[in-house]
Amino acid sequence: MILHYNLPKKIIDTIPLSENERIYYAVPFDIDGEGQWTEGSYLIVTTGKIHIYENEKITETIEIKNCTKAKAEAKVGGGILTVTIGDEPRVLVHYSAKHLSRYAYIARGINILISGRFEEVESNEYEKMCPKCGRAIPGTKNCPHCSKEGGFLKNFLRMAKPYKKGFFGVFVLMVLAAVTTLLNPEIQKHLINDVLRGGGGMKQALVYLAIMFSLSVGIVIVNILKSNASTRLGARISEDLRMALFQKYQELPLSFINDRRPGELLNRITQDTTFIREFMEDVFCNLFAVFFIFIWDVLFMMILNIKLALLTFVTVPIVVVMVLAFRKSVHRIFHLQYKKNDDVSSDLQDVISGMRVVKTYGREEAEANRFKALSTEFSNTQRRNETFWAIFNPIISFLMGMGAIVVVYFGGWDVFNEKMDAGELYQFMTYTVLLFQYINWMSWLPRTLTQLTSSLERINDILSQDVKKLDDAELAEVDIKGEITFDHATFGYKSYQPVLEDINAVIKPGEMIGIVGASGTGKSTLINLLMGLYEIDDGHLLIDGTDIRDIKRKSYHSQIGVVLQETFLFSGTIIDNIRFSKPDATYDEIIRAAKMANAHDFISRTPDGYNTYVGEKGYSLSGGERQRIAIARAILTNPRLLILDEATASLDTESEFMIQKALERLTDGKTTFAIAHRLSTLKKADRIMVIDGHRIAEIGTHEELLNSRGIYYKLHMAQIG
Amino acid sequence: MKEREEMADNNALDIYEKEAEEMTAMHKITDKDRFERTGGGFVNLFFKGNLYERVKVVRLFPFTDADKYISIRENDEKAKEIGIIEDLNDLSEETKEMLKEQLRLNYFTPVIQKIYSIKDEYGYAYFHVLTNKGECKFAINMASNAVTKLSDSRLIIMDLDENRFEIRDVNALTQKERRKLDLFL
Ligand SMILES: Nc1ncnc2c1ncn2[C@@H]1O[C@H](COP(=O)(O)OP(=O)(O)OP(=O)(O)O)[C@@H](O)[C@H]1O
Ligand SMILES: [Mg+2]
Repeated sequence: MILHYNLPKKIIDTIPLSENERIYYAVPFDIDGEGQWTEGSYLIVTTGKIHIYENEKITETIEIKNCTKAKAEAKVGGGILTVTIGDEPRVLVHYSAKHLSRYAYIARGINILISGRFEEVESNEYEKMCPKCGRAIPGTKNCPHCSKEGGFLKNFLRMAKPYKKGFFGVFVLMVLAAVTTLLNPEIQKHLINDVLRGGGGMKQALVYLAIMFSLSVGIVIVNILKSNASTRLGARISEDLRMALFQKYQELPLSFINDRRPGELLNRITQDTTFIREFMEDVFCNLFAVFFIFIWDVLFMMILNIKLALLTFVTVPIVVVMVLAFRKSVHRIFHLQYKKNDDVSSDLQDVISGMRVVKTYGREEAEANRFKALSTEFSNTQRRNETFWAIFNPIISFLMGMGAIVVVYFGGWDVFNEKMDAGELYQFMTYTVLLFQYINWMSWLPRTLTQLTSSLERINDILSQDVKKLDDAELAEVDIKGEITFDHATFGYKSYQPVLEDINAVIKPGEMIGIVGASGTGKSTLINLLMGLYEIDDGHLLIDGTDIRDIKRKSYHSQIGVVLQETFLFSGTIIDNIRFSKPDATYDEIIRAAKMANAHDFISRTPDGYNTYVGEKGYSLSGGERQRIAIARAILTNPRLLILDEATASLDTESEFMIQKALERLTDGKTTFAIAHRLSTLKKADRIMVIDGHRIAEIGTHEELLNSRGIYYKLHMAQIG
Repeated sequence: MKEREEMADNNALDIYEKEAEEMTAMHKITDKDRFERTGGGFVNLFFKGNLYERVKVVRLFPFTDADKYISIRENDEKAKEIGIIEDLNDLSEETKEMLKEQLRLNYFTPVIQKIYSIKDEYGYAYFHVLTNKGECKFAINMASNAVTKLSDSRLIIMDLDENRFEIRDVNALTQKERRKLDLFL
C-alpha cells in the first residue's frame, strides 16, 4: 500500500523543508470540511511537521513536537485522523473507507516520529485499485493490466517451461491439423474441375475421393490426438499448480490468509487452476492451428480471386460488430438470470436453515409467499431469456453466413462470365465459411485471455510470496523450558484495529496462568500469538529468551498442546483425530490420553469404538464430546506448553471436574495458559491475567486480585453471588 | 474481619445491580442539556450535572430515520450510553448544527443522484455517478454481494474499498439509468 504518493512538483514546491528534513509520508484525503468529495488534497508528514494541503495551498501546519498522540479512527464509511495537542484531541483530516488502512499506518508513523524515532513505517497490504489505470486489482500485488514484470506472456511462459515436451507435441499436432484442414478444399476443387466438369474418368474420381477420404480421416485422427495431448497437458499443469498452491498455503503466515476474503483462496485452488486446464483443453490446443489456418485461408482466398476476397473481407467488420453487440446483450440478460437464481437459492437456504425459528413464530405462510414471489420472478426471467435465445440464435448464424451469400452472388457472376471456374468457386466458398468460423472463434479470445491473465496473476501472486525464513536452517531447534515473555507486544488482525496493545508479562516456567476478560477482548488472540499463528506488529514475544520468530516452527509446535475454543475435528475416525498431533502414537498412549481427557468411556460406548467415523458427514458428537477428543489430542504429545482456550466450557460440571483433576496431574510443572469464563475452572492457576481495553488490566494471584478489588473482584463476586 | 469482607462483597454486588439498572435505563437528552464545541472539532455534553468530554454521536436508525434517536455515548472503549436524543429537530439550531457536524464526521454514505455510466469489465463494474457529496467514480466486484436491497426501491452499494453508496429510490432514476443498473438488481 502506498504511503508516499508521488506528489506533483507544484505541491512539493510549496512544502517548506528545513535542513535535515524530508517528506516521510504523503497521502491523499478525499473528504473536505463540508463533507464533500474532494480531489488533490494531501496530508504530508515530514520529519518535523504535518502539513495539510488543500485548494492548491498548505492550509494548516502542525509541529510534531507539540503532539502527544496521533490516532486514525475508523468511522462508518470512512475515518478521521486526529492528533492530540496538549490535552486536546483535534481532527486533522477526514477520508473515505478507501484510505482507512492507509491512515492507520500514517498514524503509526506519526507516533513513531512523536516518540523521537525516525523509522519509516511500511505496509505490505495491497492496493485495491490500480493507481495507474484505475482498474480493480484482483487481490494481487500487481495490476494484471499494467504490470510489466509479471506480464502475461512471461507468466505463461514460466508456467509452461517445465512442460516443454508436452507443448512441443501439441504444437506439432496443431500444424498437422492446419495442413490437413487447408488441403481438403484444394482436392475438392480438383475433383470438381478435373473430374466432374472436365470429364475425367472413374479412376481419377476414385483417386480424388480416396485422397479426400484419407484426408478426412487424417483430420479426425490428428484432432483426436491433439485434444488428447492438450487435455493431458492441461490436467497435468493444473494438478501441479494445485499442489504447489496448497503447499504454499500451508507455509504462508495466517495473517496473509486472514487478509484475503474467505473463499477467495479456495477459489484460487479450485477455480483458477480449473480455468487453466480448460484453457489448455479448449483454447490453447486450437490457438496456433487457428491462426495458422486463418492466415493461409486469407492468402488462398486472395490468390484464388482477389476481387472476391476483398469483397468478403469488407463484410467482416460489419459482421464482427453485430455479433459482439448481440453477444453483449445476451451476456446481460443471462447475467440477470444467474442473479435471480442466486436470490432464489440463497433465500431457500435462509429459510431451510432457519426452519426452527420460522416454525416457532408461525411464519410458514409468509415465508412461502415471499419465496413464491422470488421464484415467479425467476421463472419469468428465464422464460423471457429462452424466447430471446430462440429468436436470436438463428440470427447470429445468419450473420455468420452473410459473407457466403456475398461470395455466391458475385462469384456466381464471375462463373457465368467465365472469369472463374466452378471448382474454384466451390473452393472459395469453403474458405469463406472457414474464415467466418475462425473469426467467430477468435472474437472470444480477448475475453478468455483476460480471464487467463487474471487467473495466472492470482496463482502467481501466491506462488511468488516470499515466505519469511520459516524453518530455515539458521533457525534454532528448541527444547522448551516454558518461560514466556511478552515485551511491549502489540497486535491487530486489521491494521486499523489493534486488538492487543502493549502487552507486558513474564511467565515463569511451570506456571499456570488463567486468562479472564469480557468476550471479544482478545484472550484467544493472545494465545494465537503464543502459538505463533500470527506475527506481532510491534514488540517481542520471547520463548525462553529467544524471539519466537527465530525459533523453528516445527520444533516449537511439536512441544505445545492446544485445545481451541472452536474444537475442530477432521473428517476421519476418532483415532485419526487424536493421533493428529503425534502420528506415531501407540494404542497404549492414545488410550491413556483419552482416559485422561475423560473421553475413553464415551468412545467405548460408540459401536465402532476408536474407529468411529466423525466429522461433517460422520457420527455426530456433542460439543462436550468433541472437546474431550480435542483435549486428548492436545495431551497426547505430553507437551511442554499447554494452551486451553475454554477447553472445558461445554462440559457438564462433573466431567469438567474429572478433567480438571486429570489435567492437574498433567499440567504439573508445565507452563499452562487457560482461558475460562467460569472462574472456578481457574482455581488452581498460579496467577490470573485480566484482559480489558486491549491491555493486561490486572495480573496476580487470586488473593492479590481479590484484595485489589478491581475487575477480577467484581467478576468473582458476580459469579459466586 | 469477616463482617467487613461481607460488606465489601455486598458492595460489589450492589455495583453490579446498579450497572444492570444503568444498562436498561433510558435517558432522554433534550434542549435543556447543553452541548459545546471543543477547539479540536468535537463536542462536550453537560448532562445531569456531569461534563462528558468528546462524546460520541451515534445514529440508531441510520437508514430508516437518520435524524431521530441519536445516541450520545461516552468516549472510551466501553462507550457507555449517556442518553438518547429523540429528534434532532427538537433541538436549538445551534446544537443541531453542532451535532450534524459530528454526524458528518462519523457517517459517510453518499447518496447517488445521477448515474453517468456503468461499465462492466471482467467481473468488476465501474460506476461514474453524481452523489449528494459530489461527483465520483468507484468500482464494485460483481461476484460478491455488493448491492444490498433495503427495500424494493432502496439500495446500498458497497464498493471495493468498502465505501457505501445509497440509492434512495430506484424509481426516481431515469429509464436509461435504471437500465444501466438493472444488472445489479
Ligand atoms: N481472524 C480474525 N480476523 C479479524 N478479527 C478477529 C479475528 N479473530 C478475532 N477477531 C477480533 O478480535 C477481537 C478479539 O477476539 P478474540 O477471539 O481474541 O476474543 P476473546 O477474548 O477470545 O473472546 P471470547 O471470550 O468471546 O472467546 C474481537 O473483536 C474479534 O472480533
Ligand atoms: Mg476466545
